[in-house]
Amino acid sequence: MAAEIEVVHPGWLSLVVDAGRPGHADIGVPPSSALDSLAFATLNRLLANRPGTSALEVCGTPFSVVFSDAISFAVTGARVTAFLDDAPVEPWATFQARPGSRLMVSAVIEGFRYYVGFAGRMDLPEIIGSYSTNLECMFGGFKGRPLMRGDRITMRDAGMTAPKAVPEPLLPPMKPPHLLRILEGPEKNFFTADSLDIFCNMGKNMCYAVSAKSNRTGIRLEGDLMVFAQGAAESIVSEGILPGTVQVPPDGKPIIVLFERTMGGYARAGVVIAADLDRLAHLKPKDPVSFSVVTPEEAVRLTALRKRYVSSLEEALS
Amino acid sequence: MDILPYGENGLRLIFGKEISLEVNERVRKAYLYLKSLSLQAVIDVIPSFTTCLVVFDQAQASFDELADLLRRGQKEMAETELPEPRFVEIPVSYGGEYGPDMDSVCAYSGLAEEEVVRLHTSAVYTVFTIGFLPGFPYLGPLDKKLFMPRLDTPRVKVTEGSVGIVQLQTGIYPFDSPAGWRIIGKTEVKLFDPSHFPYSLLAIGDKVRFVSV
Repeated sequence: MAAEIEVVHPGWLSLVVDAGRPGHADIGVPPSSALDSLAFATLNRLLANRPGTSALEVCGTPFSVVFSDAISFAVTGARVTAFLDDAPVEPWATFQARPGSRLMVSAVIEGFRYYVGFAGRMDLPEIIGSYSTNLECMFGGFKGRPLMRGDRITMRDAGMTAPKAVPEPLLPPMKPPHLLRILEGPEKNFFTADSLDIFCNMGKNMCYAVSAKSNRTGIRLEGDLMVFAQGAAESIVSEGILPGTVQVPPDGKPIIVLFERTMGGYARAGVVIAADLDRLAHLKPKDPVSFSVVTPEEAVRLTALRKRYVSSLEEALS
Repeated sequence: MDILPYGENGLRLIFGKEISLEVNERVRKAYLYLKSLSLQAVIDVIPSFTTCLVVFDQAQASFDELADLLRRGQKEMAETELPEPRFVEIPVSYGGEYGPDMDSVCAYSGLAEEEVVRLHTSAVYTVFTIGFLPGFPYLGPLDKKLFMPRLDTPRVKVTEGSVGIVQLQTGIYPFDSPAGWRIIGKTEVKLFDPSHFPYSLLAIGDKVRFVSV
């Protein structure tokens, strides 16, 4: 069965996303994946969709859509105030829309980006193995662009699925301040000891604030400048970079690389650990951010811990 | 060859510090060798000027396992046969509305526009790597007489097909994009087509010659 979803309010930025385009970085194609991978994966569990089925990543309010037919949907990621017609929509839970109902997200309470998914699959072309939007190059997603008022997405195999909900205590925390655990980066020696000390001050003081100039390519930070050691180069010969890398351009203001670049030429002071990558989706302008360095062994332990948490969340939905 | 960890799921193969064709050839061999292994655990291999970044799935392999495997394969890697280079000619309209930085390049180098075009079109460039944008080729080496520093303030937007130079490199913007390179011309050739495999016109190791039209 097909259903149509019409966008009435697109928020500040609504994009079609999925697990992205791994495997093409050698020709410069970045992942462009959903920034909060757990919120994205959970959405598809709530909707009994195949893992990786595309959804909407939304920033800002108001966001609203109208459904042409009965269909299950859910909202994960940032905690929001939402209504299906007049009834409140709980976070991270399956809801059933009737023909003609309207989903309205009116406020974001905690976090930054939220994910709206529907039971079924969007009738959109697959581009380089993915439905994600590459916003800079304008391909993938919905015509390679953010959704606008009046856009209609056709859902194939649309339907209703048994309601499920993530128990409140299992919802991931997103409230600032954000403490990001990092591994030392390949160029940490480019910086003075003092400035490294301030950079990763174990969260004692909040030393950075998210800049309003941040976007889906990178999170820019404002605060104490990183100082390059005397005689150190201020850049490197460009090479492959990983998402979560904390790059420092010659101006000393750190930038956290997200999922839209494959190469970089700035010194890399650190790399956010895998367990904290989803948190990056929820850093909004002005939020305080601090870093704390962990050892590789500690990172392994934290990854295992994160895996256990994800499993318990999956179990709660099985 | 040095092997170093980067983050939890990155492994850097390092072949040198300075940009050179010899170092880049070793990078390319490592890239082709890794591709030929088709390892389940390897998600991406990103070759660049002097290094190859292997992005792997921690659930399927550890850094130590991969590093061991690559150390054992070092000889085979070095003996990887490089395919005959592919030659691609790129027609370019130089200067005027197509090359907004041509005047500043002439002023900086002290060369006449015809001489800039002659130098830019007389070399056969090697694709050192593809990155920054999908399909963006980093080409070099550029004639030293054309050495230009980056723009102090990058342009907010250059159009698809813009041909730029910076330091000893030249490149082509496959999409409208912000740019810090000096734009001297424009090509109609499509560098990247997301709808058609293999998507990118160029790959590491290809040879490029610009032709003035």
